[in-house]
Amino acid sequence: MAVATLAHEPDQLYVETRELRIQGFLLFMVSDLVLFSSFIFAYLYMRNSGQGWPAGGPKLDIALAALNSIVLFGSGATMHFALENWKHRNFSKFANWIVMTIILGAGFLSGQVMEYIHIGARWSDGIFGASFYTLTGMHGLHVFAGIIYLTVLLLQALQGKYTFTKYTGLTLGTLYWHFVDVIWVVLFSIFYLL
Amino acid sequence: MAAITASVNAGGGLADHIHPEPQGFFRKYVFSIDHKIIGIQYMITAFLFMILGGMLAELIRVQLMKASGGIMTPDTYNEVYSVHGSTMVWLVIIPLLTGGFGNLIFPVQIGARDVAFPWLNMLSFWLFPPAGLMLYASFLMGAPTAGWTEYPPMSLQGAAGTSMWAAAIFLIGVSSTMTGINFLVTILKMRAPGMTFTRMPLFVWGQFVTAPLLMIATTALGAALAALFVQRQFGVAFFDPTRGGSPLLWQHMFWFYSHPAVYIMILPAFGIISEVLPTFSRKPIFGYKMIAFSSCAIAILGFMVWAHHMFTSGLAPALQLPFMVLTMLIAIPTGIKIFSWVATLWGGVIRMTTSMMFALGFLATFTLGGITGVFLAAVPFDLHVHGTYFIVAHLHYVLVGGSLMGVLAGLFYWYPKMTGRLMNEKLGHWAFWLFFIGFNGTFLPMHWLGIWGQPRRVAVYDPQFQGWNQVASWFSFVMTAALVLVLFNALWSIRRGKKSGPNPWNARTLEWQIPSPMPYYNFKHVPSVFAAPYDFAEPLPYKGLEEELKGGPPPVPAAH
Repeated sequence: MAVATLAHEPDQLYVETRELRIQGFLLFMVSDLVLFSSFIFAYLYMRNSGQGWPAGGPKLDIALAALNSIVLFGSGATMHFALENWKHRNFSKFANWIVMTIILGAGFLSGQVMEYIHIGARWSDGIFGASFYTLTGMHGLHVFAGIIYLTVLLLQALQGKYTFTKYTGLTLGTLYWHFVDVIWVVLFSIFYLL
Repeated sequence: MAAITASVNAGGGLADHIHPEPQGFFRKYVFSIDHKIIGIQYMITAFLFMILGGMLAELIRVQLMKASGGIMTPDTYNEVYSVHGSTMVWLVIIPLLTGGFGNLIFPVQIGARDVAFPWLNMLSFWLFPPAGLMLYASFLMGAPTAGWTEYPPMSLQGAAGTSMWAAAIFLIGVSSTMTGINFLVTILKMRAPGMTFTRMPLFVWGQFVTAPLLMIATTALGAALAALFVQRQFGVAFFDPTRGGSPLLWQHMFWFYSHPAVYIMILPAFGIISEVLPTFSRKPIFGYKMIAFSSCAIAILGFMVWAHHMFTSGLAPALQLPFMVLTMLIAIPTGIKIFSWVATLWGGVIRMTTSMMFALGFLATFTLGGITGVFLAAVPFDLHVHGTYFIVAHLHYVLVGGSLMGVLAGLFYWYPKMTGRLMNEKLGHWAFWLFFIGFNGTFLPMHWLGIWGQPRRVAVYDPQFQGWNQVASWFSFVMTAALVLVLFNALWSIRRGKKSGPNPWNARTLEWQIPSPMPYYNFKHVPSVFAAPYDFAEPLPYKGLEEELKGGPPPVPAAH
């Protein structure tokens, strides 16, 4: 950041900039949550209005989705371990865990693609297709963006952009990844369990 | 909140850091990260779009001079009023009040040197002109024809330009969301030492309450726009009742945004009025806390009343009553503000500057618009005037008589802070009277036209309404002349205006304690604040500003 400081301890500036960035990121997640909530609201509204809903409920493969969910939640755990290892100044373990996270994220995405093929419904097939593909698709895009995000973070860490005391970018990446996990909990509940 | 203030008070850190001043024309004026330059960029762009939107408005008025229409086919007329509405809401009023005046003034008023994320701020601005151009480019492929609200199924049948419209407004929404996040973090974290929430100038309160609306409501609109876009382009069934969708879904999603957006368009204007009135009556503002807290009440209630736009769309009767009562409740905090402003004027030493005149004009016309709003909240009355010119009259009284008057008051008030010169007062007085007469002459007759039953959004109408429509059209030319005069005044005063000095109005808030135009780093010494502004009998409520108006560079030159 192209910022010059006036004399005082540089760490004070770092601490406050870190607070700013985390708060800004939390607010970004709030607005992202509103985006998902709008479609979730639309789905529940349409579903309760009852028209055009597949009789007897849509044919979703709960087993595959559950397996896929475990993969995604697992990636949340590995991301947690990655950040913890960074905090404990263990670079190689950090790198291993974050690579693991990326692989699990990619695994989740391929599971989602398999499911899309498996269902056989199309995006334009009534309100179920509209809500299901829009919401899970949006979530998939978030996972995809997250994979790129984490890869960039890993490359930056390899280049030495973060130190063991200054690593706001890594914190934000972890927050993002957990956020994507939490969204999935909601989506899984409303599509597969409700 | 205490913890946040404490971290700023701890000294050092953000309160003391400054950006190095950029070199070269592009970094200074085009891709600037300075909040003041970005604010001015927003204003210039929004005023350019206002000229375009105003020309469309005049086309509408020329068309309606004759009951049989005349200059446009009904299809073209549909395109013209749809783009006029979209322009004025998303490309003029919102950018002027938040991106424009917000960026320009509020960081200085809280004693910050910039917003929290300057680069994000630059990105927010640079999404806005391309989005506006996209909206106008839609004319080439068949512009949207279903009004600025674009209800399906009409919007689904519109030409390709409707998808373009959705994409353009989505971009504006992304820009607004980023601005909202930026402003919120700035106000929460970057206030100068001692600038507690109850010492913030009321314009900052206006921005503080607007920021979450920008951030949350706009995202919901984004969802609606995305749904419209995918239905149009990929046949996804969101709004198609034959496949389980519902056109009502759009109305829920759209108004869940667009009703709060009404407050995005008025709360910052309330802030401007709350600055102008005490300054030109030389009196502390009456009921500071009530004005601040009523803004919060308006913002919260604003999210709970969207369905009052749907009274005629087939909303369940059991839902109509609560939405009606909640909507009427908004009149209470708004009334509190009006009474506080009038009480501020009471016994004050009033100076009739142009800015003050626009503020007083705001009080008169906005109150009238607010009262017709209470009428419309009543379901039976709404059923009668729905889709008539009464609605047009109401919304223009609020958006032009309210928001735009607030913008003009702010323009005359803060112009010296942008240019170091005052705008011409004599021309300003002329502009005000022309505007006030033209505005009321245009929109007042629409109230009774609506009650008599002239439908809105229709290119031809019953000849019995022609007389008052001609009155409205002639007065609309007067109003346009007034705005042209303001624009001329602003351009003329850049070079020829009277030099203002730092504080031409003897105002009390922080932006007036530094030179005009405001220097790059805002403050050489970040002030510490020990009292609320607006108390004109007391000494200034800031410490550490003694050096601001003397010459010389900022204390520490910029490194790397």
